Amino acid sequence: MNVVDIESTLQTLRHKAFEELRSLQDVRALDDWRVQYLGKKSELTQISRQMGALSPEERPVVGEKVNEARGALQRAYEEMQAELAQRELNRRFAEETIDVTVPGRRHARGSMHPLTQIIQEIEEVFLGMGYEVVEGPEIETDEYNFEKLNLPKHHPARDMQDTFYLTETLLLRTQTSPMQVRTMERMRPHVPVKVIVPGKVYRRDEDDATHSHMFHQIEGLVVDEGVRMSDLKGTLEHFARAIFGANQSVRLRPSFFPFTEPSAELDIRCTNCGGSGCRMCKGTGWLEILGCGMVHPKVLDGAGYDSRRYSGFAFGMGPERIAMLKYGIEDIRLLYQNDLRLLRQFNRVL
Amino acid sequence: MKLSFQWISDYVDLHDLTPETLADKLTGAGLEVEAITPRNQGVSGVVVGEVVACEPHPNADRLRVCQVNVGDGPLRTIVCGAPNVAVGQKVPTALPGAKLPGGSIGVAKLRGIESYGMLCSAKEIGLETKLLPKEQTEGLYVLPADAPVGADIVEYLGLDDVVLEIGLTPNRSDCLSIRGFAYEIAALLDRPTTFPEDVSPETSGASPVQVRIDTPLCQRYEAQAFTGVRTGPSPLWMQMRLMAMGIRPISLPVDITNYVMLEWGQPLHAFDLDEAHEHTIVVRQGRSDETLVTLDGESRELTEDTIVIADPDRAIGIAGVMGGQNSEITAQTKAVVLESAAFDAISVRKTGQRLGLRSEAQQRFEKGIDPQAVTGAIVRATQLFRDLAGAEAWGGVVRATFHDAYAQPTGTVVEFSPERCNRLLGTQHSEETMRDVFRRLGFTVESTEGQVWRVHVPPRRPDISLEADLVEEVGRLAGYDRIPTTLPVGPVTVGARNASQTLRKRTRDVLMSCGMSEVVTYALTHPSDLDKLRVSPDSPYRQMIPLLHPMSEERVALRTHLLPSLAQVAAFNMAHGVDGGAIFEIGRVYWPTKLPLEEQPCERTQWAGLWFGETEPGIGERARPYDFYDAKGVVETWLQALGWQDEVRFAPVQLSWLHPGRSAEVVLNGQRIGSIGELHPETGAAFDLHRAVYAEFDLDVLVSFLQTSWKVHRMPKFPASRRDLAVLVTKDVPVQALLDTAREVAACDEESILEDCRIFDIYTGKGIADGYKSVAVAFRYRADDRTLTDDEVVRVEQRILDAWTKKYGAVLRTN
Ligand SMILES: [Zn+2]
Repeated sequence: MNVVDIESTLQTLRHKAFEELRSLQDVRALDDWRVQYLGKKSELTQISRQMGALSPEERPVVGEKVNEARGALQRAYEEMQAELAQRELNRRFAEETIDVTVPGRRHARGSMHPLTQIIQEIEEVFLGMGYEVVEGPEIETDEYNFEKLNLPKHHPARDMQDTFYLTETLLLRTQTSPMQVRTMERMRPHVPVKVIVPGKVYRRDEDDATHSHMFHQIEGLVVDEGVRMSDLKGTLEHFARAIFGANQSVRLRPSFFPFTEPSAELDIRCTNCGGSGCRMCKGTGWLEILGCGMVHPKVLDGAGYDSRRYSGFAFGMGPERIAMLKYGIEDIRLLYQNDLRLLRQFNRVL
Repeated sequence: MKLSFQWISDYVDLHDLTPETLADKLTGAGLEVEAITPRNQGVSGVVVGEVVACEPHPNADRLRVCQVNVGDGPLRTIVCGAPNVAVGQKVPTALPGAKLPGGSIGVAKLRGIESYGMLCSAKEIGLETKLLPKEQTEGLYVLPADAPVGADIVEYLGLDDVVLEIGLTPNRSDCLSIRGFAYEIAALLDRPTTFPEDVSPETSGASPVQVRIDTPLCQRYEAQAFTGVRTGPSPLWMQMRLMAMGIRPISLPVDITNYVMLEWGQPLHAFDLDEAHEHTIVVRQGRSDETLVTLDGESRELTEDTIVIADPDRAIGIAGVMGGQNSEITAQTKAVVLESAAFDAISVRKTGQRLGLRSEAQQRFEKGIDPQAVTGAIVRATQLFRDLAGAEAWGGVVRATFHDAYAQPTGTVVEFSPERCNRLLGTQHSEETMRDVFRRLGFTVESTEGQVWRVHVPPRRPDISLEADLVEEVGRLAGYDRIPTTLPVGPVTVGARNASQTLRKRTRDVLMSCGMSEVVTYALTHPSDLDKLRVSPDSPYRQMIPLLHPMSEERVALRTHLLPSLAQVAAFNMAHGVDGGAIFEIGRVYWPTKLPLEEQPCERTQWAGLWFGETEPGIGERARPYDFYDAKGVVETWLQALGWQDEVRFAPVQLSWLHPGRSAEVVLNGQRIGSIGELHPETGAAFDLHRAVYAEFDLDVLVSFLQTSWKVHRMPKFPASRRDLAVLVTKDVPVQALLDTAREVAACDEESILEDCRIFDIYTGKGIADGYKSVAVAFRYRADDRTLTDDEVVRVEQRILDAWTKKYGAVLRTN
């Protein structure tokens, strides 16, 4: 064996090894290739062993050649190894690819009834202003539902509220206002009184698109020394902005309720047209949203707060009307029909 | 209340205001205008025509060819199909180019003859036919003989008017009249009223009428006698004004009384003087077993509460409500007496309600009339009877009062402090502004110098009796828009929900997070619902509180149970294509302590859930009917969320509306808090539900168990030892019993090392003998201070197994 032979053998070997390497498909074949070309029994190892037969001058030259060949094969092996690993990974990814458009496993969220949602929202607004939430009986006495609210028997204003009577003296409350009196009687002589009263009320009305024999009200009552009608207006403006948007504005219009004097209706800017006038607001740009006023001196005195010293305001609103305005529900009966196709739309967080 | 713009313009100068501007001002002052309707519904080019000839149409049986004089130019040939057309009639004639609510009129060829216009019916010129007598609505609208030929019909009928529909609040009885409105509008516009002076007509001789008031329910009674009252229709202008205000014209005497009522707010009644025996009118209360046949032919019972107009022998009218047939004006009537009186509002209201009557007059009495108008109205009516009906007043007005104090109505004096007014409104109105408001309203103010003013309120404003009422007038007329926005300045308060509200909110949140939809249903239901629940006839659930006067047949009583409401919602949804769902309601049931009701009943707050139809499957899952364990899972999640999971037990229960083998009561700390179960098949079928699971819980009981705080468990320091056991037991052994026994056994040790045990599999079928089930339980053992040895664990496990075997015949499965 001479240097030239060895060199030519190495040349052939490298050529053959690279060719084979290029055709490899998997890690096992690569392993076999490594054993064959870089292993203990490989041709390269055998060539190294034969180097003893060379002259001392030739030996380093050939050694260098062999090492160079080994290095080249080793690098090629590592590159191929990385490439195969990458190919393997790619194959796995291809295999494991899923359709991300398939719907996920969801937990049905359930839904809160729109009325509860509105009532809760309004409660939060007034809780934030320091109001206590109180509730009262739906079956009321004539005395609390009417008489103590300055609505004596046979008063024509009783016609405003056709009543379901249970007995001569017991009835289904037509308003949450009796809780004004009950609350004052419970709290006197303590001030300030600051409560809201959500609850169901009943009127002897034929059910239609705008009337329901059962509906909800939220009553508000504040009694203290020096409570002004301007405080009522400011409080309700705060409420209107919280519920209908920060740019809302309100106006008070004179009205009549037996248990407030002065009395007013509160209008907000039409939620549909923003005030320019449309069918919903009958062209006025305003929507009537609630009734309110300063607690009538007779009611205050009757409930134990001297009207010469204390004053108060009260308001009463209908969550149905607010829900209908807010969500564009056009028929009040839909709120009591409980069609899940409607209710399930209320599974969202506002 | 309707308001004719034309009529009110007689009494306040409105020449520079449109009806819309007036409406805005009224609405802004609390007299809400709900509609503005022009009386002219789109009529132009229609004139008064006189039919001078009328021949049958040569080519059509039903048509006539008329020659009509319309004032100028030649006679017009007009083909007319109305059966009542006749020569000499004056009728509204639409000339070519005219506009009617129904369309425009041109020259038209009708069966070969050219028609130059159209003769019109009342409907065709847009009159409210429901306010006209039938004979005037059928065929042509025949005008009075003195109608000027060629006059524009809109002008002639006074149709160039606009009617405002006003939703009056009950306190403003003063605005139930044109004059009252005139005062209000004059105040709003700061203009004077322009009422004509009503002068009592000259009369001769003494009145034949005697009046006696025998009841405090009548303050004043005035009567005027007439002779020679002509009947027949009232003048067209009066008819048109009545119609504008929504009143049907009837006959001259009736129309005059109605006209004056609209103008003054004072109801009047005219009747046959000779039917009042001895020409004596007695106002008294009714007597028991007294009856009267009223004008409508009905026999009415009179009671102690009824104010009766009578003569010395018998009743002849029900005051303020309806006259008697026995004193009705007829063609034979020789003398008429006109009544103007102040009757007690409550008495009239009660009588009207008792008799089921509700006339315009009655409504005015109920809301309180102006005592000053009693005299004003009778004077005005006397003028009209003289001028329009050719009547001659027989003597003067006879006046009677129950008490001398009523002789001169004075109004009231109300004390008013400008400072308190501003303090209540939160405004800074000057005293000047306030004085001005009172001046405009026609209230006189005494001593404006001091702290407290004395404000004289005229009797036409009975709604004002307190300072607060005057404060409202100041706020209203100065404008509510001048009230600033402020917030209460009192001490800080903390807003809060109480325990019951908190429990309901938490319950709602948990149930929603479990995928349930909240519903809100009516509390009024029908007792037959309870038959569907199969409850016994003597069950307390049958004690439903009935309404005295229900509105509909389905809603007659207050519910005692929530299931029917939910079942109806479920059935409604199933019928509307919803496959199934889980719904809940947090609502009240009403349990009386006694029926008939004597005191306010117990209103209990419950939550109830219903799982019906099929679950909504995910991808690759199959829909299946909701079952007991779906519902129980939600209930357990809820109990766990509220911290009650460990104290709660489920035990089989028998409830008539539930499947006897698939229902449980839920007990917390020894107290039943609710129940859960599949609907009894008969109950389900009664509600058109195939299968459903129902649960209900009493939130009022649970409020007392609500926890306000709790502490976490320490994290364990030593590892747990996990072991599984599978045993065979007969099917009737409740798995809960196995778990309870295991815990009891472990608890016997000084130091219980059983941390947790739970069911992880229940198996029947292949390899398990009939009547048996395999129950697999996972145990977790742990000690606080050391790692447990196998020995320790096995010892406890063996004792558990022994106890199971002894109590329930459990056999360990070894494979
Ligand atoms: Zn609008």
